Amino acid sequence: MGMWPFGHHDPSRASMGRVLIVDDEENIRRVARLTLTKAGYEVIEGKDGADAIEALNSGENPLLVDVIICDIRMPKINGVEAISYFRSQYPSVPIIVQTGFPDLNLATSLMKQGVSDYLVKPVENEKLIAAVAKAVEGREMFTT
Amino acid sequence: MGPEQSIHIAILGGGRGGTALIELFTRCHGIAITGIADTNPDAPGLRLARNLNIPATDDPVSLVSDMTVDLIVDVTGNPSMPALIERHKSARAEFLGGTAAKLVWSLIQDERDLYEHLAHAEKLSTLGTFAAGIAHEFNNPLHMMLGFAQLIQDTQDPASVQEYIQEIVKQIKHLSNMSTSVNLYARTSAQGELVPVQIPKLLDEAVRMAKFSTILDEVTVIPHYEPVPDIQAEPGELLQVFMNLIVNAVQAMNARGRLTLRTCMENGSITVSVEDTGPGIAPQDLAKIFAPFFTTKKTGKGTGLGLYIVDTIIRKYGGRIEPRSEVGKGTAFRIHFPVAGLPQQTVPSSHPATPASI
Ligand SMILES: Nc1ncnc2c1ncn2[C@@H]1O[C@H](COP(=O)(O)OP(=O)(O)OP(=O)(O)O)[C@@H](O)[C@H]1O
Ligand SMILES: [Mg+2]
Repeated sequence: MGMWPFGHHDPSRASMGRVLIVDDEENIRRVARLTLTKAGYEVIEGKDGADAIEALNSGENPLLVDVIICDIRMPKINGVEAISYFRSQYPSVPIIVQTGFPDLNLATSLMKQGVSDYLVKPVENEKLIAAVAKAVEGREMFTT
Repeated sequence: MGPEQSIHIAILGGGRGGTALIELFTRCHGIAITGIADTNPDAPGLRLARNLNIPATDDPVSLVSDMTVDLIVDVTGNPSMPALIERHKSARAEFLGGTAAKLVWSLIQDERDLYEHLAHAEKLSTLGTFAAGIAHEFNNPLHMMLGFAQLIQDTQDPASVQEYIQEIVKQIKHLSNMSTSVNLYARTSAQGELVPVQIPKLLDEAVRMAKFSTILDEVTVIPHYEPVPDIQAEPGELLQVFMNLIVNAVQAMNARGRLTLRTCMENGSITVSVEDTGPGIAPQDLAKIFAPFFTTKKTGKGTGLGLYIVDTIIRKYGGRIEPRSEVGKGTAFRIHFPVAGLPQQTVPSSHPATPASI
């Protein structure tokens, strides 16, 4: 299409940015939503890789997001598959992995694929906000 | 070998020797235990025998005079026993006592040590693959607890605080349940400590534990529990049995399909079945699946010890397991356990005992 789905955010939007959180646990999405909303972000949710991809591609226009936070172990399309999809479709959108797996090999290989952060649960709310802020900042530096 | 060709054995002595002999003989095809005798009616061997529906008595004379006995094994260590047996046994019954019986016993001890090492190795290898799953299953609730706790710090709204606290409490309970399960599984149980086990409860527990090793979200678990009596067992061992069967089923179905768990009474025995809608087992493999180290899984994925351990544990409780499989349709593993301890069992003197040869 030639049109880039993830443009700069609309200045009329009062949010610090839009975050997609992908996790199969409802309460984990909820903690992220409450935390990030308080910090000024707009949050949308996906309950697994397939759901997230659908959320992004549904509607008239592809949804614009500034950061994706993604779990690894999920049903249907798992995190690793979802991440490689996100990287290929939306290469400019930073991805933060937030997972229960303290797996160094996986972390290294995902970082090589361009994932910007690998957070191992339990993650402090402040740390998540900081990681999101850093990712958004990096993206702005990258795209402007 | 049909039951009529079984070797009928009478065991004298219900201490460690007699207990070890029962455990071994119930695992052997072609051996039927006619009964066990010990002058102490509370000897551990007699208790085990009652649980397995093997005739137990405090009268060695009535046991050895049973005409169907082929072999008498004396592990009492009582020096006057051989003479007593000689007077009362039938002419065809052979006698194994003294140093020879001790030798048999030490061979059995050896075999049991070996088995225990294998069982332990299997447990460790399963725990190894579980480690990541366990970390994941624990870190998720921890994450929610931390998250809600920090939200409480920043919130003024009392209703939200109440709600977040409830979530935290819920997660703490969840964590504590999981740690109980892991403990039950990992614990190398004190020898022979049998407690009444509710099979349906343990099956549910096994499903929860299986989540540590595979993703069960797309497996529909269908429990069909008809009431069955409790079984006297080490819960950790039965958990290992059920988990191995469930993990196998889920792996076979590629984490997608229906897993049916059943309990019911069938012909007077407790029947448990684990059924999947996987690809089934090829007829030529069916005879091999219980052998140690037989696996069709990739190296590093399966040790092939799972079903060997399952079979061994089930036999230990006087039960048996039979697979039924149809290629392309699915597999069912059915386990039959005897109903334990009908009170006051004595040695039937006229008809041959059968329980161990089932
Ligand atoms: N439900 C099942 N459906 C299809 N095949 C099965 C099923 N259960 C067991 N099998 C077959 O039996 C083999 C042996 O199973 P077993 O549990 O002993 O070892 P494993 O699963 O390969 O390895 P491990 O249990 O050590 O991880 C399996 O490799 C598989 O081929
Ligand atoms: Mg297995």
